[in-house]
Amino acid sequence: MLECREITKKYGRKTAVDQVSFCIEPGHIYAMLGPNGSGKTTLMKMAVSLVKPTSGAFYYKGQPVGVDSRREIAYMSTEPYFYNWMSAEDVGRYYQDFFEDFSMETYHALLERMELDPRTKTKAFSSGMMAKLKIAVTMARRAKVYLLDEPLNGIDLLARDEIIRSILEAANRDVALVISSHLVDELEKVVDTAIFIRESRLADVCEVEALRIMQGKSVVDRYREIYGHGGEQTC
Amino acid sequence: MLKLMKYELRKTGFAKLVLLAVTALSELSYLLGVFLKKDQLMYTGLSVLIFGASLGLFYIGIDSLLVFYRDLNTKQSYMLFLIPKNSYQILGAKVLENGISIFLSGAFFAALAAANATISILYVGGLREFLEMVQKMLRQVHIVATIDWGIVIATFFLILAVWLLAIVTGYLAIVLSATVLAGKRFSGLASFAVYVLLERVMALILTQVYRVTGPGRLLAGPILCIFVMVAVMYAVTGWIMERKLSV
Repeated sequence: MLECREITKKYGRKTAVDQVSFCIEPGHIYAMLGPNGSGKTTLMKMAVSLVKPTSGAFYYKGQPVGVDSRREIAYMSTEPYFYNWMSAEDVGRYYQDFFEDFSMETYHALLERMELDPRTKTKAFSSGMMAKLKIAVTMARRAKVYLLDEPLNGIDLLARDEIIRSILEAANRDVALVISSHLVDELEKVVDTAIFIRESRLADVCEVEALRIMQGKSVVDRYREIYGHGGEQTC
Repeated sequence: MLKLMKYELRKTGFAKLVLLAVTALSELSYLLGVFLKKDQLMYTGLSVLIFGASLGLFYIGIDSLLVFYRDLNTKQSYMLFLIPKNSYQILGAKVLENGISIFLSGAFFAALAAANATISILYVGGLREFLEMVQKMLRQVHIVATIDWGIVIATFFLILAVWLLAIVTGYLAIVLSATVLAGKRFSGLASFAVYVLLERVMALILTQVYRVTGPGRLLAGPILCIFVMVAVMYAVTGWIMERKLSV
């Protein structure tokens, strides 16, 4: 469905992503894991063509990603990106204007559940409220692939549950969800596959259940192996 | 495209509202001066109107460049580049919105000037008196001029077209600094140098066109040439954005 083929991104002398290849299939929830600066965000941005790769490419349904794939791939950036003059209602209208799969009804329901007032200007939002707003507007789309970059950043425990609930509601056999986060233990409960990125390279792709049954390890254990001192490199 | 233009208009709306408010105040001052026969109030209103019209049209363009810079260099860029529209559509909406704004504002100020002239003719005196009043006002600010209104109007529209070309060239310079020159030392300076060079080349082309077509076809030849250059700048900028731009 969404395929990453030997993709590399360099910023001057620094390599942000180095020869990474993997495939995202529908019906799965993926965790994209790795420490800060490992290349997770750059990978996600290349998947929606916000960032142009130095070499290699992302393909969606066999075609290079671009304008057409943006109709079916929903991306949520970790940083706030709405125009300052917008209220939460304006954000919804903007998405409705440009995305055919956006549901205003779902958006309003999500805003209500997250206790966000549609009339409030986004510039007045706290970081927690902004995180909720980003999730609400992204999950109000009926996309085929959701790429969520650090959706749990700066969110308190109770709000985290609400956000995870909203994310999981989108999960079905036709949809792929990719969630990047530092909060490995939080994600372990909801994902079925983990993609580990280390120092710009793909370190491992593990099925969570197989990891548990075959090796008796959790995703957290595997994370420690890969990123901890003396950790092994492959499953 | 219309939806994109709607949001472009919203982004630059504040500058236009300020311009409209200043225009409304100075027009009020001018009209009060005319009806109450207070010369000082009338001259002040007229001076601010002329100054506001020239500076306002200039500022609309500068504001559009600032918005474009923000659209490429801040996280707000995601609002534009996540939607299913290509770079040509995104840039096209900006060029069209800006072009329409400049020409509509120009036409609005021209219509306002004509309305004010009519009011002055009716209340201050005949056309001759009105022109004398304008000349007197210009003399007060040390500008001695003999006005040929035909040339003024033709030049006015030519200036609007040249200004649009300067803005579209500015878009190219901003895109160059965000793409092929990104991360390099002195990228801002280099893109400004490219801008100055392009402006110089286009000025040379325009001078040649003007020489060939002559002043009798002032509105046709050079303005057509300017629109061709705007189209070329737009195509080159869109092409670079489509292939090189990372936000």
